Amino acid sequence: MRRSKPLAAVATVAAMFALAACGGGGDDGDGNGGSGADRDFTETGAGDKDPEAQGPAPEVEGAQEGGTITVYLTSDPGPDSLDPTEGWSVTGNSIQQALTHRSLTQFMRNEDGDAILVPDLATDLGTPNEDYTEWTFTIKDDVTWETGDPITAEEVAFGITRSLDSETFPSGPGTEYSVHYFLDGDKYKGPYTDKGKSYDGVTFDEAARTVTIKMSTPFPDMDYWGSFMAMGPAPLGDTSNPPDYGKDPLTTGPYKIDSFRPQEELVLSRNDQWNPDSDPARHQYADGFVFKFNADQAQTDEIMLSGNAESQTAVSTGIGSDNYQQFDSELGDRLVQQGAQCISTLTPDYTKITDINVRKALAWAYPYEDIWLAGGEVPGVTRIPANSYMPPGMAGKKEYFADGEQFVFNPERSKELLAEAGYEPGEYEITMVYSEETLASAVQKQLVKGWEEGGFKVTGIPIAATESAYNIWLDPDNKINKKLNMRGVNWCSDWPSGSTMIPPLLKTGAVYNTALFSEADVDAEMDRIATIPLEEQADAWGALDEKIGTEYFPSIVTAFRNDLYAFGERVGSPAGLASIGAPYYQNLYVAAE
Amino acid sequence: MSLPTTGPETLGGTSEETALVDPNSSTAKEISGKSPMRIALGRLLRDKIAVVCAIVAFIFVLIALFAGVISKVLGVSLETPFASSVLDMLNGGLPKEGPPLHGFDPDHPFGIAPRTGEDNLAYWLYGCRTSMIIAGSATLVAATVGIVIGLVAGFTGGLVDKILSFVTDLFLTIPFLLAALTLAPIISERFSTSPHYFTIQRWTLIGVLAGFGWMGVARLIRGEVLSLREREFVQAARVLGMPTRRILVKELLPNLAAPIVVSVSLMLPAFVALEAGLAFLGIGVTDGASWGRTIDLAVPYFDTYPLYLYEPMIGITLLVLSLNLLGDAIRDALDPKTRR
Repeated sequence: MRRSKPLAAVATVAAMFALAACGGGGDDGDGNGGSGADRDFTETGAGDKDPEAQGPAPEVEGAQEGGTITVYLTSDPGPDSLDPTEGWSVTGNSIQQALTHRSLTQFMRNEDGDAILVPDLATDLGTPNEDYTEWTFTIKDDVTWETGDPITAEEVAFGITRSLDSETFPSGPGTEYSVHYFLDGDKYKGPYTDKGKSYDGVTFDEAARTVTIKMSTPFPDMDYWGSFMAMGPAPLGDTSNPPDYGKDPLTTGPYKIDSFRPQEELVLSRNDQWNPDSDPARHQYADGFVFKFNADQAQTDEIMLSGNAESQTAVSTGIGSDNYQQFDSELGDRLVQQGAQCISTLTPDYTKITDINVRKALAWAYPYEDIWLAGGEVPGVTRIPANSYMPPGMAGKKEYFADGEQFVFNPERSKELLAEAGYEPGEYEITMVYSEETLASAVQKQLVKGWEEGGFKVTGIPIAATESAYNIWLDPDNKINKKLNMRGVNWCSDWPSGSTMIPPLLKTGAVYNTALFSEADVDAEMDRIATIPLEEQADAWGALDEKIGTEYFPSIVTAFRNDLYAFGERVGSPAGLASIGAPYYQNLYVAAE
Repeated sequence: MSLPTTGPETLGGTSEETALVDPNSSTAKEISGKSPMRIALGRLLRDKIAVVCAIVAFIFVLIALFAGVISKVLGVSLETPFASSVLDMLNGGLPKEGPPLHGFDPDHPFGIAPRTGEDNLAYWLYGCRTSMIIAGSATLVAATVGIVIGLVAGFTGGLVDKILSFVTDLFLTIPFLLAALTLAPIISERFSTSPHYFTIQRWTLIGVLAGFGWMGVARLIRGEVLSLREREFVQAARVLGMPTRRILVKELLPNLAAPIVVSVSLMLPAFVALEAGLAFLGIGVTDGASWGRTIDLAVPYFDTYPLYLYEPMIGITLLVLSLNLLGDAIRDALDPKTRR
């Protein structure tokens, strides 16, 4: 799923030395990372599953009931709609899947900090047939809506069918997974666009409480896809009609929605109808949650550091790099560093920058450290150097280097490669957009300086600070977009598998393939991997990753991303959830004074 | 946008009593031969605050004019260094040398900016130039437009007056900030691919400031002209067959000098502040040195690196304050009713 803030961060990267911290899972080898290095690095798990997990969720030691937790989501506008089918952003899904909306399966954080897949509405992780073309999920008997009505198999089936409607939910995750894998996903346009048509891909049996999904191609990752709230129930009839349903959707989790003002605030309160015995991962400790979107970073930092009553029950999903030292010394364990299975990429237009040496030269001339500093990141903490499309901790990831060694800022090497490709310094022109927002402008200045030193000529097209660069990059008819030969994407895995990293970014015609990369043998290999036995897939994705990186090098992965969360003094069990890169809201509680 | 350019009391500057001297005054005989402007200048020079403010404003003008030379002499430039070469990345990107953590750094007398490592002094000097150029040009344009429209509307009267007055009132109804916030993205989208984008941006800013700043002057001048055109010397000029253009320029304009000087001297500081305000909101100058933009960048550092924030603030405050006080002093000097 994509990151909501592309520009300020698209270019930001951490310093070299942190690779040790990442690979070593805790200790920083060369001590160069400052105090950030002695912080335990929470690695992302490699996709464990526990189909046996049953509710209620294991009690958190010392947990208490009551209190309200305020979460500041700094510089993050949050979702515009709460419709579960629409949600495909880290912020929105992390909140809703943890607290308000249940789906077939879910992720849970185990004692080691790994994310493991456990059942949610379904009794287990689903039963596939032999070749993964048909999945059957049995819905638990004791699951209910916030109204107290039981959740029926028909409602679950209807919710799943909604995800096929890519016209009504153009930015929903169903556009990538349901449409691609479900039976007739390319023909049936969903219950709103194809009103009245019947659809045989998703069927239900109310008596047996089963929902059966038929696939057009084998889909072994259906159980992971089931952890998206889009794979949950939707009320039948007009109640769930978009777009109104997105303002106040009916909830099924331990909390219900009190009020929602997009880009400002989401208030949640206890849902009495939620049955803890049916839920193996969620808790209902706090009385309520308040999420503040677009929180000002400086203000949030002040609140979190003040230690006053307000800050004691607050959580911040980001901290300002200028205050990192103070946070680190004052908060201690309450400052959590979480690996997020996210990458930042720069995507040279594959149809315009056709020479692989030029693309490699761009990677060598990219001033990683300087850009990171200008972008307000913390070295070796929130950004670490990257070498592959698959993030650290993902099963099958290979430690390869596209140009022999780890890319660092090396303008001489860049000039050499440019000369090899037949270009004089200052001859090759790069055209890109940048936001006029202050951080992004500062990043752009460093980038231009680095690339110019490396022998490129850079033309930056400014866009308004309020506009998202994705609006330009993803619109093929945009007249600015047509001029660009450099774009970017920040991408996070949807579940720990190469299938959620490589195809969405590099398959011909994929929405977020802003490099416009297209190679027939790579496409064929992606299709092939989807059909081979599940055990072999991880390594196959890793091999494909290496093949793409070394043979084609279509885009520059500038960083693996990490997050920093600050927890108030009285917020219990501060931790992050690796699978989505967000605080583990499920376990938070407010301790007594 | 309406600017509180002048109060009604300044109108006295051109009224009948101007040249009259209090006969009981001991200096009555001495000043009897002086023009109203000479009297005003004399009053101004005796006003200590006005003199100090004039000197301060003049220094800022010099800084703006010679920003390039001054930065060369001091060895600073607008160039962006590689951030990691001058910033301490383990300390939240604060400078390795100079304030706030270390002592004075002779290479960068004002210190360097966190995150980017750019020289604060160079940005301050060029920021002054940006402020002055934009505020000065906007004042010039706004005053010219206001005077022309005021003169024509007031002197011609009738339908032309009605139309021009309506246009003036129409512009007064448009909320300035809202219009600026709406215009910025439109301009940015229209011209963002142009190689002259940043020049266009500056001209747009001047246009926006002037476009919403001329109404006060226009109304003031129109009111003055309405009363002046019925006076004997204008009637006489008409009878003598003077062309309208000549009446406007030779007869009316000199009599309007006082309100014009006053409104211009108060418009300038208002535009300086507005330019910085717009830059702070991200809809002003976005490419280079601007005090407002530096303040925007410096706000998060008010605690850790206050000097970074104070520098542009002191610049703006000093300039606006001195121009404002100077404007007030000019108004007082031109107003014969003022008794200090």
